[in-house]
Amino acid sequence: MKIRVGSVAIAVIMILLITAGYVVLSQGLEGKERPMILIPKTIDPHVEFWRVLNQGVSAAAKEYKTEVKVIGTKSESDIEEQIKLLEMAITEKPKAIILAATDYNRLVPTAQKVIDAGITLITVDSGLEGGLSASLIATDNYAAGRKAVETMKNYVQGPATYAIVSFVKTSTTQMDRENGVRDHLTQDPSIQVLDTLYSNGSEDKAYEQTKKLLSEHADIRGIFGLNEVSTIGAARALKELDPEQRIKLIGFDSSTDEVAFLEAGILQATVVQKPFNMGYLAVRTALEAYEGKKVKVNIDTGSEVITKENMYTSENQKLLFPFVEK
Amino acid sequence: MRIWSRPIQFKSIHTKIALAFSCLILCTTVILSYSAYRLSTVAVTDTSLAYTKQLIDQVDKNIQTYIGNMESIATLSLSNNDLKRYLALKNPADPEGLQLTNQISNYFQSIVASRNDIASILFAGSNGALVSERPASDFKPYSELITQDWYAKASRSSGKVLISPSHVQHLYKDEYKWVVSISKPMPNPLPGTASGVLLVDLNYNVINDLCNQIQLGQRGYVFILDQAGDLIFHPQQQLIYSGLKSEDMPTLMQAKEGTFPSPEKEQNKIYTVSTSSFGWKIVGVTYAGDLIGNKKDMQLASMMWGGIALIIALGISILLSITLTRPIKVLEAHMKQVEKGNFNIRVDVEGANEISKLSRTFNLMIGKIKELMSQTLEDQEVKRISELKALQAQIQPHFLYNTLDSIIWMAEMGKVDEVVTMTSALSKLLRSSISKGEELIPIAVELQHIENYLTIQSIRYRNKFTYAIEVDPDIQNRRILKIILQPLVENAIYHGIKHSPERGHIHITGRRLDGMIELKVLDNGVGMSEEQLKSLMLKTRQAESGKGFGLHNVNHRIQLYFGDHYGLQFESEREEGTSVTVRIPDMPPLPNENDREN
Repeated sequence: MKIRVGSVAIAVIMILLITAGYVVLSQGLEGKERPMILIPKTIDPHVEFWRVLNQGVSAAAKEYKTEVKVIGTKSESDIEEQIKLLEMAITEKPKAIILAATDYNRLVPTAQKVIDAGITLITVDSGLEGGLSASLIATDNYAAGRKAVETMKNYVQGPATYAIVSFVKTSTTQMDRENGVRDHLTQDPSIQVLDTLYSNGSEDKAYEQTKKLLSEHADIRGIFGLNEVSTIGAARALKELDPEQRIKLIGFDSSTDEVAFLEAGILQATVVQKPFNMGYLAVRTALEAYEGKKVKVNIDTGSEVITKENMYTSENQKLLFPFVEK
Repeated sequence: MRIWSRPIQFKSIHTKIALAFSCLILCTTVILSYSAYRLSTVAVTDTSLAYTKQLIDQVDKNIQTYIGNMESIATLSLSNNDLKRYLALKNPADPEGLQLTNQISNYFQSIVASRNDIASILFAGSNGALVSERPASDFKPYSELITQDWYAKASRSSGKVLISPSHVQHLYKDEYKWVVSISKPMPNPLPGTASGVLLVDLNYNVINDLCNQIQLGQRGYVFILDQAGDLIFHPQQQLIYSGLKSEDMPTLMQAKEGTFPSPEKEQNKIYTVSTSSFGWKIVGVTYAGDLIGNKKDMQLASMMWGGIALIIALGISILLSITLTRPIKVLEAHMKQVEKGNFNIRVDVEGANEISKLSRTFNLMIGKIKELMSQTLEDQEVKRISELKALQAQIQPHFLYNTLDSIIWMAEMGKVDEVVTMTSALSKLLRSSISKGEELIPIAVELQHIENYLTIQSIRYRNKFTYAIEVDPDIQNRRILKIILQPLVENAIYHGIKHSPERGHIHITGRRLDGMIELKVLDNGVGMSEEQLKSLMLKTRQAESGKGFGLHNVNHRIQLYFGDHYGLQFESEREEGTSVTVRIPDMPPLPNENDREN
């Protein structure tokens, strides 16, 4: 009887050892199997912003040894398709979903499903109504708006009238930037701010609107273009109607056209975001949240003001001319 | 119940052996697996570091080749005669100058077209000359170009070649290409002619591809620093500029060649540096954890083999402990039987090991015990009988009858005193024989008894003998077997003095000698011849009834109690008398001996 009990004890120890080994092994496999899913606003290769964001995502994926699958729509405006993609992503049971929501409200129900399925949700660039996600990694657009105003003050002093050219009325990015600009301008009672123009994402419309505005208000001393399209539209109008460059333009985002206007002195400065950092931090934060660590609800990736003078510094040229492999 | 029964069960030798083996094996396996793992880790790490170094050196060589090519292209272009003539012109915009521009531009075009790593070639002279492989309309204004670093720095560099960090080239309108540029001033310009700088742009793609192709483990990467510590290439350049990541620049700038770990321990980075001839540092970053690409596999393998070895070894240890303890179990079972009183068993354990020796010894021991037990039983029996016989011998009915007869006879004769003396002695004799069950009594008590006896006998054999008792007072409290002296005195009277014509004398002495107690009964009776003495001594050793039986019984009893060392000894001579010596051990009195006597 005694022999039996001893053998049983040893057998139990052996079984424990084998089980422990198996658990370690299976965990190792599990870590490799489940990827993350990134849903940007678009996978259109011509949109530099998302390509650079992707580079940041890849850099983080390599560094933290996780697989990131990218699925997305052709166009930034295809909200229905993005909702479908998000639904699909839930069925794949990823470690985490990194979402750049194309709509502030309409993706909320599906995003709630993601959370209900126990999947970590991180939003990048654009958030969701109610702040559902574990963390929002984006540019603080309100602060960016404030920076734009501060930059404008370098060129225009004293009482003045300003115009704002924006893109879509309902975009949070737009709203934050506009509020940032407007709030900081209106701190000075001598300053007059005209009603915001909405280009609805059309460069030509922005151009036409700005031209109309300039003809109606001769006293405008500065214009804010709240995104790339709006800035270029306004710059084109200024090039045409203000050859002496009396009216100052502060824009957002970057493109070759904007750089050309910067160099030409029509565009005084542009506030650029840091999509690489956004992508990198999104993956890093998603992993941290997945591992149960506490993450910040809002992570500001920051923005830089680029002028003709500082555009070729090594730091800024990476932001202005991100090296995108062909 | 179970909780308590477990630790008890661990006390069995079998479990102990198995446990000891298991612990030993576990430790050994763990240590072996761990050290094997460590050793292979170190080996793999070394190999991968050496491999990394090779890769980095290769990158370095490739980059040097590219830069070298560009330098030779720059030298080649600068030696172009058209260019020299062009530079000698006062006004490059005159018709001759335009013609030369065309020729030079074509020349540059052919060079750029032949190599896809070169983005563009441009020459700017201090006389306003400006020529590249592209049409002049693409340029930015001359005034802007000559303020750019490549021109300004090179024209001051006194003939040395300048290599720029990676940057966006903004020479041309609406074109912003990432390049690394080489600018070289015109060597030895002729006196009176203008100076100039030639710029060759290397496609940044070349370096980017070169560095990105390198795989250093899963997470490792390559980056390049120039002499000033500016980043030429870094896969995470933006993160570094934003301060989200950092490389250990001071250490890197100091290091020329070799491999060293990053001072920031938690990052586990290992830098491999190679410095090119023109001062660029190619840095390979490997993560210590990555070096062993399949660290997990190695861990798993060593764990698995360790586990398998452990299981096999544990199985063997259990088997071994069972085999080892089985004979012990057999022995134990037999011992249990012995415990129950069964001495008629033998343990059969074959072999020459300790346990079979043990079982042989056990068999021997059991045999001996059996023998001793039967002997003890026998001894007990003999003791009982001899004691009984001693008691019987003490007061034989015959003696009693004779004594009473003497008392009657003396009473009739009116010898009242003697009747009283004899009756009192007899009464004491009887009393001593019926009281006290102890075998051992103080010598004094035995002497009292013998005195009573002698009193009776001396009255019966009137005037036939006298007696004296001289025993050392300090041995009087020592213990002696009871009824030892009486048979001797009886013998002295009946066989010695009774047949002697003369009046006899019995002398009893006692003393301590050589740690023993020696009592002697001496008589001066008829004595014995040597043959008689011999046959008497023989009789004392053999149990035969009849004559000499008393002596035999005394001797036998002494030897039963105290061993063969003690007993009776006779000395005798005809017509001289006989002396019997009793030797017993010197036994101290029982502590309560005196109390009992009182």
